[in-house]
Amino acid sequence: MDDAGFTKCERCGQPIYEKDLLTRFNVCPHCEFHFPLPAPERIRLLTDSGSFEERDRGMTAGDPLGFEGYEERLSRARMNTGLSDAVVSGVGKIGGRPVALAVMDFRFIGGSMGSVVGERVARTIELASAEGLPLVAVSASGGARMYEGVYSLMQLAKTSVALTRYIEGSLPYVSVLTDPTFGGVTASFATAADVIIAEPGARIGFAGARVIEQTTRERLPEGFQTAEFQRDHGMVDRIVHRLALKGDLERLLGFVA
Amino acid sequence: MILEFERPIRELEERIAELHRLAGPSAGLQAEISRLEGALDTAKRRIYANLSPYQRVQVARHPDRPNFRAYRDVLSDDFYELSGDRFFGDDPAVRGGLARLKRGGHNVVLLGHDKGGDTRSRVKGNFGMAHPEGYRKVKRLYELAGRFGLPIVVLVDTPGAFAGRGGEERGQAWAISADLMALARAPVPVISIIIGEGGSGGALAMCVADYVGMLENSYLSVIAPEACASIIFRDPGRAAEAAEALKLTARDLKQHGIVDEVLPEPLGGAHKEPETAIREVGDALDRVISGLSEADPGALIEARHERYRRIGTHAAGDTG
Repeated sequence: MDDAGFTKCERCGQPIYEKDLLTRFNVCPHCEFHFPLPAPERIRLLTDSGSFEERDRGMTAGDPLGFEGYEERLSRARMNTGLSDAVVSGVGKIGGRPVALAVMDFRFIGGSMGSVVGERVARTIELASAEGLPLVAVSASGGARMYEGVYSLMQLAKTSVALTRYIEGSLPYVSVLTDPTFGGVTASFATAADVIIAEPGARIGFAGARVIEQTTRERLPEGFQTAEFQRDHGMVDRIVHRLALKGDLERLLGFVA
Repeated sequence: MILEFERPIRELEERIAELHRLAGPSAGLQAEISRLEGALDTAKRRIYANLSPYQRVQVARHPDRPNFRAYRDVLSDDFYELSGDRFFGDDPAVRGGLARLKRGGHNVVLLGHDKGGDTRSRVKGNFGMAHPEGYRKVKRLYELAGRFGLPIVVLVDTPGAFAGRGGEERGQAWAISADLMALARAPVPVISIIIGEGGSGGALAMCVADYVGMLENSYLSVIAPEACASIIFRDPGRAAEAAEALKLTARDLKQHGIVDEVLPEPLGGAHKEPETAIREVGDALDRVISGLSEADPGALIEARHERYRRIGTHAAGDTG
């Protein structure tokens, strides 16, 4: 974004007024390209005004392995985002209906899942169980947080064991996949939902396309791993435009919550 | 295959063999041979006792290291293989079936990554890197074990889930996630032993367990050290440092409370004396299965839940 208040669309190349981008929650007014959306903006998009109450805000990451560069990476991410880690969680209302909500933020070390993300997601699941609320998770993640080594791997197990309890009940779990969602997050809680919604064009998968090309030297087809690709392969229920997402969730929750 | 750090050992072994050949039946060179044998023993102890994490990764990947097939053949006296995910195909990168273990006579569902025994079977088994149909077969067998009250025994040995076009088209991430959920609620004992490589989600899909054992030179990591070095240090040459930083060895993971037990390997690694390593695993399986055989299904699930719910490090914030 430059000083003149204009930015250029990554996809169509057209200039966009930043103000327009802001009011359209980072969706290009010309080509409808969905730019990444910071978690606080996502919460503003989805929840009824003033209804969101954040939980576990003070929880901060440790450095369990003393991994070179992790502390610096964390403080830079905190400074740049104003967040304490890569997920914001709590309770809010969607169309008057309270839900437990966890929203990831890709700006925070690539939305990577370390102990804090795993713990907050698990607590959000437990909160939903305890208070009898539907669960909504919005993902944006490059995968596990390597700086936490095996602790980050174990967050896949942590979120999965928490979810097995929740799905014994009759409350719905809705997962919203946004650009990009990969690795440990898709291999755990983000794909274990009753209903999976994806944003148009979002890249979603296990391994990234570059890794696949390097390891297999396969030529990947146009649109590989997009939300549309995943829907066509039966992995995603619906593709929903960001500006229609709140209304779509209200409709869904009207049936199952 | 000789690993770099094994070279001094191999050189001593060759010199001893050469002297034996020269000496023939005479006793003339016996003093020199004895001296070299002493040096060999010292070198082995010095080198193998001080393996770096990356050297252990190399031992874990050694092509002569005993793999699933060897354990299956030695430890079970009947392996009744079951195949297929009932949907797409059978993935030979993971195998499973009903098995009766010789030690203790336990009936179990035995599963493992199959790295193959020769070049052809290695390629066929995709070097132990499973596709979604492999993870779906595994899930089917987890559920079958639950239905028949059989303990689930898994031998983990994979560089990771396969990263490829077909795997993505058929929902690799979805399949792994479903395995994690299936293990989390399996109403039978789940026992996993990492016998070689424990590569990331592809390994975790087979080791959310009541007991996780690791052979001394196996590893478990969120990412391969080479890839970690490329991404974090932006230098694939720093793999040894990455291996150190990731704390991926059996001993490190035991210290961090992630795994239950480190199973000792013969001096020089499991590939030096496969039968010793296999016996060690067989003994551990008998002991652990016997210990869990009376466990109540609900209590098992509860304890497994608590175990994985707890792992993580964060500074406690407000809980409200």
